[in-house]
Amino acid sequence: MKPFRHFNAQSVDQAASLMAGYGGRACIIAGGTDLLGRMKDRILPSYPEALVNLKTIAGLDAIRAEDGVLRIGALATLASVAAHPEVLSNYRALAEAAGRTASPQLRNMGTIGGNICQDIRCWYYRGPLNRFSCLRKGGGRCYALKGDNRYHSIFGGSVEKGCVAVHPSDTAPALIALGASVVTSKRTVEAEQLFSVRLSGTTILEGDEIITEIRIPEPSAGTSSSFMKFALRKSIDFPIVNCAVALTREEDRVARARICLNAVHVVPRRVTGAEEVIQGRTMTEDVAGEAAEVAVSDAKPLEHNAYMVQVARALVKRAILACGG
Amino acid sequence: MGIHSDDQKAKMKEMQDNLQADTHPLKRYRHIGERGGRRLDGYKKAGGDADYTMDVQLPGMLFMRFLDAPYPHAKIVRMDTRRAEQLPGVRFILRYDNPELPEKASMGKLPGLYGDQPPLPGIAHFEGEPVGAAVAADTESIAEEALSLIEVEWEQRPFNLDVIRAREEDAPLSYPEMYPAGNYWNNGLFNELVQGDVKKGFAASDRVIEFEFFRRGHTWIGPERPCGVFRWNGDCPELWVKQQRPHLVKKNLSTWYGGVPMNKIQLHCLYQGASFGGWVQVSWNMGPLYCAGFVARKTGRPVKYVFTRREDFYGESMDNGRYRYKVGFKKDGTILAVEGVSTIVNQQWPMFNVMNHFRENTKIPHLYGRSESVWVNKGPAVPTRCEQLPTTLSMTMVFSRVAAECGLDPVEVALKNDGYEGHDMVRLEEEKRQRGFPATDSLKECVDRGRAAFGWDDRWHPPGTRRLSNGRMHGVAFTWTNEWDDSLGTGEIAIRIERNDGTASILAMGCDNGVDAENTYCRIAADELGMRLQDVHYNPQTDPGFFRMSPDSSTNASVNGWAVRHAARILKQQILQAAVSPTAQTQRGEYRPAFEDCTPEDLDIEESVIFRKSDPSVRKSLADFVMEAGQSGPISSTENAGFRWAFTEPFFAFGYHVQLGSYNPENPRPHLTRQAHFLEVEVDSETGEIFITKAVNVNDVGKAMNPMSCEGQQYGGTIMGLSRGKFEEMIYDSVTGVMLNGNLLDYKIATIKDVEAPIGTILVESGMGYGPYGSVGIGEDIGTVMTGILGPAVHNAIGVWIDDHPITPDKVLKALGKA
Repeated sequence: MKPFRHFNAQSVDQAASLMAGYGGRACIIAGGTDLLGRMKDRILPSYPEALVNLKTIAGLDAIRAEDGVLRIGALATLASVAAHPEVLSNYRALAEAAGRTASPQLRNMGTIGGNICQDIRCWYYRGPLNRFSCLRKGGGRCYALKGDNRYHSIFGGSVEKGCVAVHPSDTAPALIALGASVVTSKRTVEAEQLFSVRLSGTTILEGDEIITEIRIPEPSAGTSSSFMKFALRKSIDFPIVNCAVALTREEDRVARARICLNAVHVVPRRVTGAEEVIQGRTMTEDVAGEAAEVAVSDAKPLEHNAYMVQVARALVKRAILACGG
Repeated sequence: MGIHSDDQKAKMKEMQDNLQADTHPLKRYRHIGERGGRRLDGYKKAGGDADYTMDVQLPGMLFMRFLDAPYPHAKIVRMDTRRAEQLPGVRFILRYDNPELPEKASMGKLPGLYGDQPPLPGIAHFEGEPVGAAVAADTESIAEEALSLIEVEWEQRPFNLDVIRAREEDAPLSYPEMYPAGNYWNNGLFNELVQGDVKKGFAASDRVIEFEFFRRGHTWIGPERPCGVFRWNGDCPELWVKQQRPHLVKKNLSTWYGGVPMNKIQLHCLYQGASFGGWVQVSWNMGPLYCAGFVARKTGRPVKYVFTRREDFYGESMDNGRYRYKVGFKKDGTILAVEGVSTIVNQQWPMFNVMNHFRENTKIPHLYGRSESVWVNKGPAVPTRCEQLPTTLSMTMVFSRVAAECGLDPVEVALKNDGYEGHDMVRLEEEKRQRGFPATDSLKECVDRGRAAFGWDDRWHPPGTRRLSNGRMHGVAFTWTNEWDDSLGTGEIAIRIERNDGTASILAMGCDNGVDAENTYCRIAADELGMRLQDVHYNPQTDPGFFRMSPDSSTNASVNGWAVRHAARILKQQILQAAVSPTAQTQRGEYRPAFEDCTPEDLDIEESVIFRKSDPSVRKSLADFVMEAGQSGPISSTENAGFRWAFTEPFFAFGYHVQLGSYNPENPRPHLTRQAHFLEVEVDSETGEIFITKAVNVNDVGKAMNPMSCEGQQYGGTIMGLSRGKFEEMIYDSVTGVMLNGNLLDYKIATIKDVEAPIGTILVESGMGYGPYGSVGIGEDIGTVMTGILGPAVHNAIGVWIDDHPITPDKVLKALGKA
C-alpha cells in the first residue's frame, strides 16, 4: 500500500469537514472491508491521500427501536444487526440479509453503512494496478460487455449505457423492501433513492456526505418479510442474485408488497410490476410464479448470464412464498 | 561388527523397488495402526507458534518484488528504471538485461519449459509473469511503489488462450523461442498408449459411443504464498525456502553463481502453509530465488521475496483441456475398447497418459490413449494436487457413461471390468500369490462395504427419475480406481538414541506438508525398536541432508517408511548386541556387559526396556543402559572415589530405500488395491444449485499405519475434490488474456460449509500394498478421484450430461433448457 494520512474523527461534523478539506482526495473508512482491498490492489487511477476513520465517533453503532422506528447506526456491524432481537423479530429480511453477507470475520468488521455504500465487484473494474481503465473509472469502454459477464447486469447498463457492473449489497434490497430511509450528514433519503451509478461510486452521496443512521418504520400488523440469496458458495460469496420481499396481509389477501432484487442490475431493482401482480390477491404458488415472471419480463441478459434470469425468477417466487401463506 | 550387519543390509536390499509383499513384517503391532495420538506439530500450528518462511526476519533484510507482465505475450523493448532507482529506500534494481545474469540457469529437473531458463526473462509468455525487473528495497511498500515507477515499452505479440484454437495450424505461436515449430508439443515420451487393437474391440462391441467434455484448470495456491529468503555468509549461501522439494533447490543452487559446493549450502525448510505440487515444479519458482541470491550478493544484505496472492495464482493444474472418447462395450457392461485423446494446455508431463488407469485397473483388452500438450499463453501447468487427474477423470466419465447407456448399476459395471493390463481377475489373483500377497478381491470388498454404508441399493436409480419432496432432483454416483504411490524416489533416514534418557530421534529432511507423515515414522520406529511412542520423536533437519521423499512426490510412507524400518531394525540389533557385549573396552580394561552370559537373541525390548526373554525380571531401561555422555558421564567425583561409570557405544543407524515407481508403461508391478467412492447430490432444477448430501470413501490402504491420518486424507480429499468439481476454474478475459479471478474471492474454493454432507470414511486393510507391512499410499488419491464424480451424480439427478467441468449452476440450467 502507499502511504496515506489517517484521521480518527471525533464527530460526524469533523469527519465531514476533513472530507470537504481534501476535496475528493480522501476516503471514509469504517469497517474497511471494501476500501482496504481496493487500496491494496490499487484498482483505481488515483490513490487516497487520507482516510477519515468513523469508528472513533461515539454512538454511531447503536441499534434501537424508538417511537415506531428502528434506528440503526451506520457503524453497526453486520453481525450485530443480524443478531439483534428486534431485527430478528420484526425485520426478518434484514436479519437474514445481514447474516448471509460475506463471512463471520467480515460481518464482525463490516458495517451496515459500508455495506450499502460499497463499490462494485466487477472483475474488470477490480483488476489490480488499474489494469482495465473502464467506463466506471472514466476510461473508454466496458470490458465486460464483450468479455466474461457471467456475474453482470441482466437489465442493461448505465454510465452512458455502458457499464454493466451490478450493485453487490445484500442488505440494500432488504432495506428497500422494508421501506427504510437513510439519514446522512446532509439529508434524509429513501433507501430506494440512495443508489446511483457514477464514476467510482454507487450512491448519490456527495464527497463530504456521511451516512449516520438507517431508519426503518415498524411494520404494520400482518407484515412479514423474507430474504433469499443465491451465490456459488454458502460461506462467503457476494450474491449472484438476491431478493427481499416485505408483504402485508389483510385478512387472506396481500394488501401491500415491496419486492427488491439486487446483483442483477447496476442498482438495486425494485420490481413494482411484480408487486402489482400480487396486490389484492390471495397468495398461492401460481400467483407467486406469475409475479416472478413479471419481475424478469424485461430482462436483457448478456452473452454469459442468461442463467441469472432463471435464478432471479426462482428467487422472487420463493421469497414471496417465504413470507407465509 | 560394522554399523550395519550383513543380515540387515541383505534384508534392506531385498526390499528395494517394492515388487514383492513385505516378507518380514512385525509379529505384532503396538503403535502402528493405533488410533489417537497427537500430531507432532499440532500444538505449534494451532497455537500460532510454528515458524514459516514468510515469518523469517533477518537484520538488515531487504524486500524484493517483481515486475509482472501486463500482457499475455509481450517482449520488453525498452525499460527505464531511473525514477524507481531514485526512490528513497530502493537499494537495488535487477534488470533482465544485467550483463552479469546468465542467459539461462538450472531451474528444475525437467527439460523444456521447466528446465534451464533465464532467471529473469525479458519476454513474457503469460500475463502476470515476473519479468524484466526485480526491486530490492528497505520495505515491501517501497519496492511496490518503485515498481510502479518503472517505465516499460512493450512489444505486444499475438497470443493463445484456447486449447483448440492454439492447436490449429494458423494459430500464432505461444512460445516462439522454445517451440518455433508450433504449439503442439510431443516430447516423444509415453504420450501414446497402445494395448491390443481398438478397431477390433469396436467391431466386436454391441454398442459404440463417442463423447467429449472439457475440464477447466484449477489453481495450486495454499495459505502461505511462495517466498524465500537468501543470505550470503561469506561464500556460503544460506536460504529459507517454501519448498516441497528442498533437495532440488540445493541441487540447482549448486550450479548457480559460478558453482557452489553442496556442502557450503545451508538450506532451511520450515513449516509450510500447504502446497499441492504445482508451484514447486515450475521453473520460475527458482528464478526469484536466483534473483534474491544475486541481489543479496550485490548488496551484502539478506533479501526476502514474497509473491502477492495474485502472483501465486498464475499457473494451474495439468488437466485443463478437452477430452474425447470412443468406447465399445457389450450390453452387459463388459467394455471391449476405449480410445481416449486428451488435449491439455501446457502439459509438461505427457507420460501420464489419459488411459493409464484403464490399463492399470481393468481387463479391457483394447486401449488407445494419446495425451496432447498444447502451448497457450497461460501460466505453466504441472502436476497440481496430482498428475493423475486426467486419467482418473477419464475412468469416472467412461464407466459412468457405459453404465448409463446400458441401464446398469455402475457398481456392477466396475466389478465386471476389474483386472489389470487387459487381464482378468483370475490372472490378477495369480499375480498376487506369486508376489506373496493374500489374494483378496480388493474392489469387491471396497464396493461391498461402501455400498452398505452408503445405502447404495436404495439410493441408485435410473437417471433423471427421482424428485424429492423438497422439489429437488436426487442423484447418486460411484467411481473407483486403484490406490497409488507410484513415483520413483529415495528415502534416507537416520535414528540415534539420545544419551541420558534413551529416547530416539529420527533425523531426516524437514519437509512439512501438513499430512503428519512424521507421526507415522515415529510409530514405525517405536514398534520396531520396542519403544514407547512418546520416546520417539522426529527431529526435522532443516538443512536437508538425509533426503527423503516428500509428499509432493506422490509417494511418502511407502518409501520413507521402509527407510525408517531399516534404520530401526539395524539400531535394535546394535543395541541388543551391545547389551551382551562389554559395556566398554579401554586400555584400562573391560567393563562388564549389562546383560551377562547371554546372546542378543536372548533379549528383547518392550516399552523402552531391555529384558531377558526367559526371565523378564532381568531388565534394564534404555535410559539406564545408554548412560550419560561427555563430562556428565564418568564424572570425576566417582572416579576420585575409585568408581567409574560404564559407557556404552553411541547408537546411531541409518536406513535407505529406493523405489523406481510404476509410471513406466512396462509397469513391473500390477496395482492390487482399489478405492471406491459414492456420492449423493440434490439438484435444484430452478436455480441449478447442487447440494452435496452424502459421500462415502472406501480406501484399501493395505495397512493403515496411522488410521486417523488416513481418514484426514479422506475428509480433506473429498472436500478438495468436490470443490474442483463444483467451483474451481481459472478464468481469463478472452480479449486481453488477463486473468480475471486471481484472488480468493473470485476464485471459488469450497469451504467446509459447501460440503456439509456427512463424509463416510472406511479403510480396508487387505495387506496388498507394496509398502512396509503391506501398506499403500492414500495421500493424493481421494482429492483426485473425487474431482470427476460430480458429473455423473448430476447426470443421475437430471438425466442430462454436462460436458464442461466444473459443474456450475449456469451449466445445470442450460442443460435443463432454462438458460
